[in-house]
Amino acid sequence: MLKRLFAAGAIAALSLSACAPEAAEVSSAADAGEINLFTARHYASDAAVYAAFTEETGIRVNVLEAPADQLIERMRAEGARSQADVVITVDAGRLWRADQAGLFQPAPELADTLNAVPANLRHPDGHWFGFASRVRVVVFARDRVNASEITDFLDVAGERWRGRLCVRSSNNVYNQSLLAGLIDAVGPEQAETWAAGVAANIARAPQGGDTDQIRAVAAGECDIAIVNHYYLARLQRTEDPADRAVAEAVDIVFPSLAGRGAPFNISGAGLAANAPNRDNALAFLAFLLTEHGQRQFAELTNEFPVVAGVTYDNDVLAAYPQITPDPVNVNRLGENATAAQRIFDRVGWP
Amino acid sequence: MAVSPRLRQAYPVWPALIAAIACAAPLVAVAALAVSGEWSGYLAHLWSTRLPVYLLNTLQVTVISGGLAVVLGSGLAWLVARYEFAGRGVFEWLLALPLAVPAYAAAYGWFDLTQAAGPLGMLPTVRGATGAGLVLGLTLYPYVYLLAREAFAGQSSDAYEAARTLGARPREAFLRAAMPMARPAIAAGLALVVMETLADFGAVAHLGAPTLTVGLIRAWAGEGATADAARLALILVAIAFLIFALERAQRARARQTSASGRRRPSRRIVLSPIRGLAAAALCLSPVLLGMVIPLGRLTYRALNAPVTRDLASAAQNAVLLAVIAGVLAAMLGLAAAYALRTGTRRGAVAARVAGLGYAVPGAVAAMGVLAILGVMQTWIDAAWTGLFGAVFPVMLTGGIAALIFAYLSRFAAAAIGPADSALSRVTPTLDGAARTLGASARETARRVHWPLITQGALLAALLVFVEVLKELPATMILRPFNFDTLAVIAHNYASDERLGEAALPALLIAAVALPPMIWIARRIVRAEGVRAEAVRPEAGH
Repeated sequence: MLKRLFAAGAIAALSLSACAPEAAEVSSAADAGEINLFTARHYASDAAVYAAFTEETGIRVNVLEAPADQLIERMRAEGARSQADVVITVDAGRLWRADQAGLFQPAPELADTLNAVPANLRHPDGHWFGFASRVRVVVFARDRVNASEITDFLDVAGERWRGRLCVRSSNNVYNQSLLAGLIDAVGPEQAETWAAGVAANIARAPQGGDTDQIRAVAAGECDIAIVNHYYLARLQRTEDPADRAVAEAVDIVFPSLAGRGAPFNISGAGLAANAPNRDNALAFLAFLLTEHGQRQFAELTNEFPVVAGVTYDNDVLAAYPQITPDPVNVNRLGENATAAQRIFDRVGWP
Repeated sequence: MAVSPRLRQAYPVWPALIAAIACAAPLVAVAALAVSGEWSGYLAHLWSTRLPVYLLNTLQVTVISGGLAVVLGSGLAWLVARYEFAGRGVFEWLLALPLAVPAYAAAYGWFDLTQAAGPLGMLPTVRGATGAGLVLGLTLYPYVYLLAREAFAGQSSDAYEAARTLGARPREAFLRAAMPMARPAIAAGLALVVMETLADFGAVAHLGAPTLTVGLIRAWAGEGATADAARLALILVAIAFLIFALERAQRARARQTSASGRRRPSRRIVLSPIRGLAAAALCLSPVLLGMVIPLGRLTYRALNAPVTRDLASAAQNAVLLAVIAGVLAAMLGLAAAYALRTGTRRGAVAARVAGLGYAVPGAVAAMGVLAILGVMQTWIDAAWTGLFGAVFPVMLTGGIAALIFAYLSRFAAAAIGPADSALSRVTPTLDGAARTLGASARETARRVHWPLITQGALLAALLVFVEVLKELPATMILRPFNFDTLAVIAHNYASDERLGEAALPALLIAAVALPPMIWIARRIVRAEGVRAEAVRPEAGH
């Protein structure tokens, strides 16, 4: 028995090296090749975009989904032998960090294509670009709050909201980028004062995700919450009656950030520094900005397209007022991320 | 125990040394990261801001989860081992099942149920360090239960019955005769619970109980400070080392085994119907709280969510990884247990080191494995090109070897505990007898030890199997392209606040873990009547 166990183990150990994933099967001659995609997103919309891309070009898309920090760490370790062609993450702060680690390469061939993306939603030298955008907003209880009370994020730190605000932990990158944007707008000292004010206003210790903050407002635990817009859009478009009730109890405002415009952020992509399939990767990156790709993101994940003039079918987004975005280049959010996190530590925003 | 020097040398230490090297490698890599990075002053900043909170939360969560696990695990193990009541045979394995529920899944489910707007909003919301401790305790107590159950089953009932004869009340006899003999097993189970708790990120982050691990991930993700994250990881490892030391001390005090390996099937006490119902209710509650209720909530959420993933291949991948890792880990566990048995310092150190990997949070262990693989790839590439002029394939994307390596380095500890506590029942007297009769060390192992330790080895394999099914960070960061596991899919959806889509993969993890749990529980039950002398005749080589 013992012997058999050891034999089984030895066989298992030997077969490890032979266990390659199916995607590594020998490709046929008529094959247009493949791309290897590192992505921090996992949406049906993305899968639909990959499928459409393969249909159109014949290029297979191999996917590895993981949190952005882990993808970055893995690419670092893989170094020159990294198999990644394209990296996709949400939040510009992560893209900035990956770029700092030298994981992207410029793609001059895409220069014209990228002109379709607003200048503030892409890297100044074209190392990465946003293909969909989202905005940090305030959701409030219809029956207890008037939309006119919150026109700017600076208002949220005011005394009148003491014990009435819900927001998730500062571990979350959305909050880090919001504060990073504020540091850019008003400087670190004032940003710290603001963060301290918000921390003092928190109704309950940060817990759960953005959706949970919205539910807490509906349940009366707090009157306002800071969230990303698509979490509410998701609740508004769901089949679940309980969640619909939550969405109906609240409303949304798009406050500006220190008067500069609403704090936008992106889902972005870049060309990996050591991409083994560079040409295919460029084709894929361009595909993200086609009408087809842009529509998918708007309709399935409730994000805003970055390319102007794309038509899509989404009642919730269509009902939003005209939003003026903060003109800051999202690259700045990454530069200020560390300062933002230390401010959170100091003011005790958990 | 006096062991003759000749016996001491009887078992080779080298398998344990190999295990130790494999397990220690990521830890060494993390230590290297910690000392090689530059000192940015981040730790000083942390010390003056959040570190005390991290430590306090860590303590609170660990004490609650560990305490709950010991009370539930050992109490219920005793109940099903010693008493007969309706449904006992089912509870025997049902009680182990919450281990198959990932702690973060239970946390998401409970929080969703009990937040103000939830269906159980009238209850206090499950949150903070207390909530996290309870959730972790309820999903991890099976470690203690399984090991204690196995110890009680393997325990001859002589001591307990003698105590009763001498006039001790059942509770007293339990606490003073039965418990001390099961103490090594319970301590081993508790050590596992504590390590898991220390390394947990998903549950504590969601419930708002920032522990050291949360701080570590924050340093790494928010600051990009790999070196500082590694330094925090070393603090965690130090805590784990301390726990190990305490557990060893416990075990040293309780090296009492009955003189023979023989087990007398203990007669169970039949409970009256009323008491039987109470016992059944006691057994049912942790299963409800740890598994049925939170997963039920996720399932309800799943009703309104589309199935967008190929879960069949994810399940296949998960099982493949878990089986390979389980078998290999059981072998490592036995090797380490035998090394401990030699009584040599080298053996003991090797086994201890092998067990340390468990305390390293998965994300950090994965970082260590990544760093090692990166370095190895560079060396091999250079040598290979020099020798053959060809390009060596990329190790990370080429298969699952990197994953298995990471699993073994993390979970060897889970295998060493059960193997060691099983082997501790094989008394040196038995060895002596066998050797006197002319059996070689190998023969002694095969004909005397093996029948006695099969269950320990099986348990070790099962624990690792379930662990790997649930494992996240290493799987996430080391897997090949187009290769998902159930845990990865469940977590990706959950972290995306799509509980409905996360439900099905989480349920499947529990479903996949169920058959081996039942099978092993049955083996343990069946073995109670087995006598050590019933050794199979020698098979031809």
